[in-house]
Amino acid sequence: MAKLTLPPVELVRSGHSACPGCGPALAMRYLLKGTGERTVVSVPASCWTIIATGYPTTALRLPMIDTPIEATGASISGLRAALDALHMSDVQVVGFAGDGGTVDIGLQSLSGMLERRTDALYVMYDNEAYMNTGIQRSGSTPEGAWTTTTPVEGMARGKGEPKKDIMGIVLAHHPVYAATLNVAYPEDFLRKAQKAASLKGPRFFHVLAPCPPGWKFASDQTVQIGRLATDTGIFPLYEVENGKLRVTRKLGQLKPVRDYIKVQGRFGHLTDAEIDTVEHEVQASWAALLQREARP
Amino acid sequence: MIEIRFHGRGGQGAVIAAELLAQAANLDGKIPQSFAFYGAERRGAPVVSYARIDDRPIRLRTAITAPDIVVVLDPGLVEVAPVMDGLKPGGTLLVNSPLPPERFPTPKPAFVATLDATQIALSHGVGSRTMPIVNTTMLGALSRVSSVVSLSAVQHAIDEHVPARPAENGLAAIEGFHTVRVAELPGLPGGKAPSGPVAPALSSEVPEGPIASMASDVLHTSSWRTLQPVITREKCTRCNFCWKFCPDNAIDLDSEGFPVVRNEHCKGCGLCAVECPPVAIEMVVEGGA
Repeated sequence: MAKLTLPPVELVRSGHSACPGCGPALAMRYLLKGTGERTVVSVPASCWTIIATGYPTTALRLPMIDTPIEATGASISGLRAALDALHMSDVQVVGFAGDGGTVDIGLQSLSGMLERRTDALYVMYDNEAYMNTGIQRSGSTPEGAWTTTTPVEGMARGKGEPKKDIMGIVLAHHPVYAATLNVAYPEDFLRKAQKAASLKGPRFFHVLAPCPPGWKFASDQTVQIGRLATDTGIFPLYEVENGKLRVTRKLGQLKPVRDYIKVQGRFGHLTDAEIDTVEHEVQASWAALLQREARP
Repeated sequence: MIEIRFHGRGGQGAVIAAELLAQAANLDGKIPQSFAFYGAERRGAPVVSYARIDDRPIRLRTAITAPDIVVVLDPGLVEVAPVMDGLKPGGTLLVNSPLPPERFPTPKPAFVATLDATQIALSHGVGSRTMPIVNTTMLGALSRVSSVVSLSAVQHAIDEHVPARPAENGLAAIEGFHTVRVAELPGLPGGKAPSGPVAPALSSEVPEGPIASMASDVLHTSSWRTLQPVITREKCTRCNFCWKFCPDNAIDLDSEGFPVVRNEHCKGCGLCAVECPPVAIEMVVEGGA
């Protein structure tokens, strides 16, 4: 019998209403295994408000607050202050927001929480569009992707703008700890969650959470596609602790981005030339990442 | 005017079914209308869509509460959603189910029709393995059990408006037309639908404690699936991958470390089967309703 590589404690219950094969459902499960039972979670309008709260039930075994979509950062600053006033400084405060609620609607609130040096962990689970309302593009949708608001018909070729660099924005606030995580690599995910839980001060996670209906792939491919995102260099895994960057999944040769793009319906219209462009961009950003890691 | 209500789960194509029916009726020379109920956009969540068909322009824009025809794309919905609500006496209930029509008694006298559209869609490769799309098969059957639309109009609408695999969808519609079974049922004593699971009572008062305090495990999400995992114990190496990657925590490990699927919570996503290194898990079509 193989040893468990994740703690057996389950803080997410069954019976939640995530889609079959949901990446964000795995993200919450792994995160709470790392932060543990003494955690409170603030969730803004996003898939997870629906996933967790089929009234009158809750899918979490710990307290969850439903927050307005623009207020996740403010809510976790307030929760931290209240818990400290109650002498409950050992309780982990986690904000768990989607990409739209973070890079678009909640950006000011996130920036405020980081700037106030709030002792809390802000997690952005990135399924790369407003999925809960039916696949509308967000600032975090990658260039070229089909969504219902960036259609592919006639001259329209999906989203025309590149994905917003949320890690760059967050790192400009000099958090204590920031990392990228991927539900396809649960052991790396767990280690980062445990590490974040051991630190004090503002912390940030950018979690890639593949979405079968939104990205247009079969529900059994979530982990395969997640792995490809990292192994092609599109979503590298790294952590930045007090300004020092470290790549946590080393890659010798990057896999061709074609392997990742071709298996998702949202990219089905991309031509070979367009995919080659993505390939070059990914190789350049991967090289830049390795250079930043080598910096003393 | 004929009013049709579709019940499905997100991903099965209920909204497109109403649209396709409207397009087909238009080809038959009728004036149609179709729209969907705005709800949570989730794969697996109950979805309702509507179509009206008339010989004159339709000015009514409201949801359909007294349908002439109800089409149910997922057999599990009959027990959890009010699919028969308002169905007119003498109306038609069409259910995707391998069971005979008599297994779906209606409150009022009605024609009840069933066919195994999931199996038909799978056999024609319509949709994916984990999410067969049954809407075109059901429309083929609908053209058989009612005069609201003709099979040739359904086929034309599929050719014109279904972007992926129109030929396979057309064949599925034809097989749906030929395999559907109908029975005229007398209605239930008292005219009331059999009571399904009772939803927890909603309180009109603001609660003092947490708003949602009931464990979600009481919700049995297994009714969402079309495929279920079967584990071959002899092949299992107890590596825990299936347990690790289950988004629904629906796999427990027994005292010897073997995985056991918690059937009432598995949504049939198939991740465990794909991630299983020794290929000890097979996804099989759920038997019966």
